[in-house]
Amino acid sequence: MKLKLRLNGTPHEMDIAALRPDLELRIDGRGHALRETGTTGALRHARIDGEDITYHQARSGNRAFLHLGGRTWIVEFVDPRDAAREKVQGSGDIRAPMPGVVVSVEKQPGDPVTAGDTILTIESMKLQTNLTAERDGVLAEILKSEGDVFEKGAIVARLQEEEDGDA
Amino acid sequence: MGHDTPPFKRILIANRGEIACRVIDTCRRLGVETVAVHHLSERNARFVRLADASAEITGDTPVAAYLDAEQIIETARETGAEAIHPGYGFLSENSGFARAVEAAGLVFIGPAPDTIDLMGDKIRSRRFAEENGVPVAPSVTGGEDIDAFVEKAASIGFPLLIKASAGGGGKGMSIVEGKQDLLTRARTARSEAERYFGDPTIYAERYVERPRHIEVQVLGDGQGKVLHLFERECSVQRRFQKIIEEAPAGHLDPALRDEICAAAVRLSEAVAYRNAGTVEFILAPDGTFYFLEMNTRLQVEHPVTEMVTGLDLVALQLDIAAGRGLSLDQPDITLTGHALECRVCAEVPEQDFMPATGRILHLDPPTGDNIRFENGLREGTDVTLDFDSMLAKLVVAGPDRPAAIAAAQQALERTVLLGVETNINYLARILAHPAFRDDPLHTGFVAEHEAALAEPDLSPHEAARVLMAAALTFREFRTLAFDAPEPYASIGGWRN
Repeated sequence: MKLKLRLNGTPHEMDIAALRPDLELRIDGRGHALRETGTTGALRHARIDGEDITYHQARSGNRAFLHLGGRTWIVEFVDPRDAAREKVQGSGDIRAPMPGVVVSVEKQPGDPVTAGDTILTIESMKLQTNLTAERDGVLAEILKSEGDVFEKGAIVARLQEEEDGDA
Repeated sequence: MGHDTPPFKRILIANRGEIACRVIDTCRRLGVETVAVHHLSERNARFVRLADASAEITGDTPVAAYLDAEQIIETARETGAEAIHPGYGFLSENSGFARAVEAAGLVFIGPAPDTIDLMGDKIRSRRFAEENGVPVAPSVTGGEDIDAFVEKAASIGFPLLIKASAGGGGKGMSIVEGKQDLLTRARTARSEAERYFGDPTIYAERYVERPRHIEVQVLGDGQGKVLHLFERECSVQRRFQKIIEEAPAGHLDPALRDEICAAAVRLSEAVAYRNAGTVEFILAPDGTFYFLEMNTRLQVEHPVTEMVTGLDLVALQLDIAAGRGLSLDQPDITLTGHALECRVCAEVPEQDFMPATGRILHLDPPTGDNIRFENGLREGTDVTLDFDSMLAKLVVAGPDRPAAIAAAQQALERTVLLGVETNINYLARILAHPAFRDDPLHTGFVAEHEAALAEPDLSPHEAARVLMAAALTFREFRTLAFDAPEPYASIGGWRN
């Protein structure tokens, strides 16, 4: 079974090639050896391809936070079920990139939009951001109105399916 | 300085987060008891635990609670506090609050309310600066008689910035490079001003290209004695907010430094300033500088000044507020070394610095003699949108600027703060940029170097190391790799 991971916005695939004597993995087609070698307090140790690494880690939901090699990393575990859903829905969803509140609604359902048009303005921590259409199309619905609060990732507006774009 | 008794027995801190912790730190050293005020959502916060006592304040939102002057003053009375330290933000520059504190028979650890009023008014403070020989950006206002406006504006010199007096958001704003465009642009600006704001008044001022943000830390005793603690540079900004500050400013001519510091002292003396304060200037590449505004409170970036002067600004604020005056004189204040502050924020630099939320799951800050990690965090602290996105300030000093930069880079590399997206890697990339080291900074630095400051591509080897370490935290992976999952307890934050 292939695991799908995302790092800095780039998708990666990982699967297990062998379990013993050492764990062997294939990442994006390349082979790697991995062994956990212990912990010192909160520090984790592992040996990767013969090289010892030390890191801090924490996990929140489907995201792993790492401190490794003097940098902080966030690796997202992509649930195959989510990926499947996304494919069905297409790219017409306009999602909130962060939690916040709707400041103003600039378009109405039925309005034609071009990529880059502002659909809503949202505010989060005193900062205003415009949510824009990712492609040309017709606005199917707006799910939030002025003053509404939403969570990160919430769908705030939706474009019509591309086939119906000329309606 | 040199007092055997604390300046106050007990004070209330009308703030939260890192600045509340900062004030508590000095109070403990001086033997001053502290009362924190907190919203219910932060009852387990670090500042609440550090304070000798804490009282809950309520409001429609957590921020509203901190803006409720009446409730905070009532809490101070109930808890026996003699004075209120406002920190920065919230009520710190609210003259009505300062007056109400004094009317309640308490001490406001800040300036006289009239000073707050004067410096809080853009037009009055600018005029006041001008009257006291502090340079302000040359400007003219007009619009009805366009020819007279054009003539006066041209005499300022180019480039000029023309904008609607009533305006904002860039409407009716334009940069005019030379006289040939001035009349046309002024006409356009006037009609846009009329159309968008219903007021044709337009305004022209000298446009400073590649401006530097230089500010001077001052201390006044309220009796006319004012000292400066040299300058800070805060030119590295994103979304008009500072992210890296330093003291002293790099690449600044000593004679010009003296001139800027003298102007700040002149302005502060003219109001017989009381408290710690900051006079902000815009410095042009040709060495001309203009008054921007005065902040009549402790500044977020005050620790860099403390690092290079060896002084405790909060202790000095308390002494001044307690009527003990300033026992220091200007020659006592000297500069040693160089200090940098990096503001660690919960945000995503790759997405226009959008704020991020989460929970602090693992915190292991760098330590060392020349490192301060000013923060109000604990493991388990929720980072929400209720307050500002700044999580901590990493303040690092070194014997000179290159050494301070190198030490700050190392300290950033050693900062372990996991559970929410932060700008830590981004800050490290700024410090590593040759232009940060070698050239004078300017407020457009982040925009100018946007491409170079972007997240670099990873080598397959580097990516594989990170992905494998990450995989070890996922139960699904462990099940496949090790037959059975590691006990849940050893997986950080699993309960999410």
